[in-house]
Amino acid sequence: MLKKLAEFSKKFFFLNQKGRYPALEAEEVEALRLAFKSRYHNFKLLLAANSKILESMASIERALQGNESFSMSFVQTHCTAISVNVFRMINAMENISPGKYTELKDSFAAIQKQIDALLGARKKIDDRRLVIPLDAITSDMTDLVGSKMANLGDVKNKLQMNVPAGFGITAAAHELFMQTDGLQREIDRLFQVAGSDEDRNLDLVSSQIRQRIMTAEVPEAIYLAVVDAYSAMKAANHGQEIKMAVRSSAFGEDAENSSFAGQYRSELNVGFSQFFYHYKQVIASKYSVQAITYKFSRGFRDEDIAMCVGCLAMIDAVAGGVIYTRNPLDAKDDAIYINSTWGLPKTVVDGNDLCDLFVVRRDDDLTILRREVQHKGHRAVCLDGDGCARTATDEALADQPSLSDERIRELADHAVSIEQYYEMPQDIEWAIDNQGKIFILQSRPLQQMDTILPGPELDLDQFADSLIAEGGINASPGVACGEVFKVAKKIDILQFPEGAILVVEQALPAWAPLVARAAAVVSEQGGFAGHLANVAREFGIPAIFGAAGASAKMQNGDTVTVAADLTRVYQGSIAPLLEWTRPEPKLMLGSPVYESLKEISRHIIPLHLLDPESREFLPQNCQTFHDITRFIHEKSVVDMFNFGRDHSFSERSSKQLHYRVPMNWWILNLDDGFIHEIHGKYVKLEDIASIPMVAFWEGFAAIPWDGPPALDGKGMTSIMFRSTMNTALVSGVKSKYADRNYFLISKNYCTLSSRLGYHFCTMEAMVSDRSGENYLGFKFKGGAADFERCLGRVQFIREILERYGFRATINADNLDARIEGYDMEYMIGRLKILGYLTLHTRQLDMIMGNSALVNFYMNKLTKDINTLLA
Amino acid sequence: MDKKQREFKVLLVDDEDIFREATARQLSVRGFIVLTAESGEAAVESIKTDPPEVVVLDQQMPGMHGSDTFIAIKAIDPLIEVIMLTGNTSVDNAIEMMQMGTFDYLMKPINIDELLYKIEDAYTRKKLNEKQQREAKQ
Repeated sequence: MLKKLAEFSKKFFFLNQKGRYPALEAEEVEALRLAFKSRYHNFKLLLAANSKILESMASIERALQGNESFSMSFVQTHCTAISVNVFRMINAMENISPGKYTELKDSFAAIQKQIDALLGARKKIDDRRLVIPLDAITSDMTDLVGSKMANLGDVKNKLQMNVPAGFGITAAAHELFMQTDGLQREIDRLFQVAGSDEDRNLDLVSSQIRQRIMTAEVPEAIYLAVVDAYSAMKAANHGQEIKMAVRSSAFGEDAENSSFAGQYRSELNVGFSQFFYHYKQVIASKYSVQAITYKFSRGFRDEDIAMCVGCLAMIDAVAGGVIYTRNPLDAKDDAIYINSTWGLPKTVVDGNDLCDLFVVRRDDDLTILRREVQHKGHRAVCLDGDGCARTATDEALADQPSLSDERIRELADHAVSIEQYYEMPQDIEWAIDNQGKIFILQSRPLQQMDTILPGPELDLDQFADSLIAEGGINASPGVACGEVFKVAKKIDILQFPEGAILVVEQALPAWAPLVARAAAVVSEQGGFAGHLANVAREFGIPAIFGAAGASAKMQNGDTVTVAADLTRVYQGSIAPLLEWTRPEPKLMLGSPVYESLKEISRHIIPLHLLDPESREFLPQNCQTFHDITRFIHEKSVVDMFNFGRDHSFSERSSKQLHYRVPMNWWILNLDDGFIHEIHGKYVKLEDIASIPMVAFWEGFAAIPWDGPPALDGKGMTSIMFRSTMNTALVSGVKSKYADRNYFLISKNYCTLSSRLGYHFCTMEAMVSDRSGENYLGFKFKGGAADFERCLGRVQFIREILERYGFRATINADNLDARIEGYDMEYMIGRLKILGYLTLHTRQLDMIMGNSALVNFYMNKLTKDINTLLA
Repeated sequence: MDKKQREFKVLLVDDEDIFREATARQLSVRGFIVLTAESGEAAVESIKTDPPEVVVLDQQMPGMHGSDTFIAIKAIDPLIEVIMLTGNTSVDNAIEMMQMGTFDYLMKPINIDELLYKIEDAYTRKKLNEKQQREAKQ
């Protein structure tokens, strides 16, 4: 085919030397038509791929603002989409101009290699042990056994405190489990197939993944290592069977400022015969709805989290709870806060009942400052068989303090020692067994934040009439307003509206996925040591817990204001209180997922090839995917144009537009841009089939131009000054923009590069019944006035375009605007606006120093555009 | 919805019954003549007896894998265009398949309109290639 074309070209050239046009055989005409068609087909595929890349790049740039959560799957999907589309563009370019830009593939491979390295980056586990006994664990083994077990190792082995016997099942074991029979690959597939971050049915995908994990076989090597470790524990226990607590100790769990607290499963009082079932339950809990939601909201990468598992001898606790070594809601308060209840500490963590609070001063005597003894109606106990149960507390005990003063001081002493050892405030889970022995079950960094109370200038009495509930605990500070939505059952989760006030009976961990979507939380029960309180603080969502009777005072749909610092709920929206609201934390910023995207985007988004006229505008100089797409886009348009010119085939040579009179506009038909074949020099507007060109022209010609605006003295001086500086403006010097105004068209496509007066603009449009592929791009630069005025004009144009739905950016005095994905009718309207603006912003740079004139033109242009669209 | 009659045959190959049937239905109402196969082996047999213009092929299938099926299809008729579908996002794989000559590579979950555009484009490519091949022979 190409050979044939080359022969035709020679023939034209030869005959043209004689001043004659060739007479083509019908077969040759057909071959040329086919060649043009084939090139145009590739050009169209190239443009569609380019458009997809720009869309994905825009999504990445939005994500990098850090305001919204996104997952690693978002990063993977967009990176793959961009790579695939860049590759498509390279292929299509190769089909348009074979062998001309071979270096593009090398540039692509080099960039892709860097992105792959970043996408595949994960910590390598060198230590391949599958199980490590707690006696041998130290805090520097976080990457082997997870932070929970690593910290506990130091509490036991360095601080010599009581910690139950046990062992850790390592990250290497998790990796082995997930790699066996392609389990991880299958999970990744299920996740991807479930759709984008917005569309995914989390309940469904979570249950599918957990089911796969539960039905997978535990590899024999893990099985044998666990049996060995358990046998050693049993031997030390005089051959007696030991019930176990099997808990997640995920690597990455206690990263700075994030707790993962309670996201994963803890299986309590497990007999060894059921051990591996529960091990898998803990592994599977990495994919519970709440864990997926949490990872997503905080920007954690799934592959960074290795589900190490901690296995400890179960303590059948008489009392238990959580110590905060400082006040989590007041960084200046260094008192020790001990939350305590009867039975297992689970009740405190789950937040499903009231618990005692003892506050201890950090002095030599460990003075007890406060005792808040609650009615502890329920407690969690170990069953004789496997598992635990929530049972009613004996009436005689329910109102008794769950700790004696001696025990309180002993616990406070432990707390101070652990905090000193770790040199930061700690959140410590503890239990007391039936021998009266204190055990430390967990210690992790405590997050602190400040309560802010209103100053004396705000008279709270003025809102007294609106007060509907008061009391409870400030579980997470802040003020927020929203509509009440009560959640009692899991099914209610599905209906929970974004930005509502979450009102619950118990502060259960199951409600955690709602916290990030809620404006505030009010719970009748629960203390500030529970999991839900931790999550609320982490996400900066105001929360009042232990607000007994509050729920009955609110109805679904009521608008209320929750002032957590005051532990008050008001009817309606109380503006002066809302002014206290602290800025929402940008949780994605700095997260592993965010950082991954940021790093990867450096190989995708920055544009280095800015000037097509530069000698550096070469395929081998492409450093990013954006460079490649910019290069290909530029060259494809030029090569499409040259192909038409080089094969002076009458049907495809450029024609001059005849619109009433011959115009200074030339048109090159790429494929089906004319209604019928045009012979001769001119083409009339009515012969043009190009939908986007006709629409643009309608806008361009609809309202006559009034001529240049009247100049004030300053505008004129500015032009005179620029004329001496800018050779492009001096008559007689050929400007690089001084080429003709060209339209390249097909039925659904049009690109224009034009110079009108002193500014330069390009427009490109694809408009067809494929809404998903429709786009308009518009670039505008230059002007006769000084830089400030040119900039003023592009800002002026941007303001108009943004009003009509364009996305626009300005770089120096270059305006770049784009809109995509709308149907044909909408796009035609937008093209008319571009046509109109191309003409009517002519020389407006000159008046940009005069605000009255700027306003005048803004009103005039807006009025004209509205008339045009009517 | 785009309901114009396209009147050319598309073979949809996927082992997941629900996906295959639902996608086939969506393509049928958009005017394609849709054939289906639940495995690579079945696809190859179907192409021998009733050749389509375009094949939409899932990559991960038990038995004959998508890439092997692709090679088998091209051996029967190199002009048939193949669009690959995958549930696993992997750039390497996508590029490899496109280097082998698949028309395009789409990630699940697919957008039905995007698939429709790709099928139309693949069909256009096939018709152009057929014409060019005829020209070359003349």
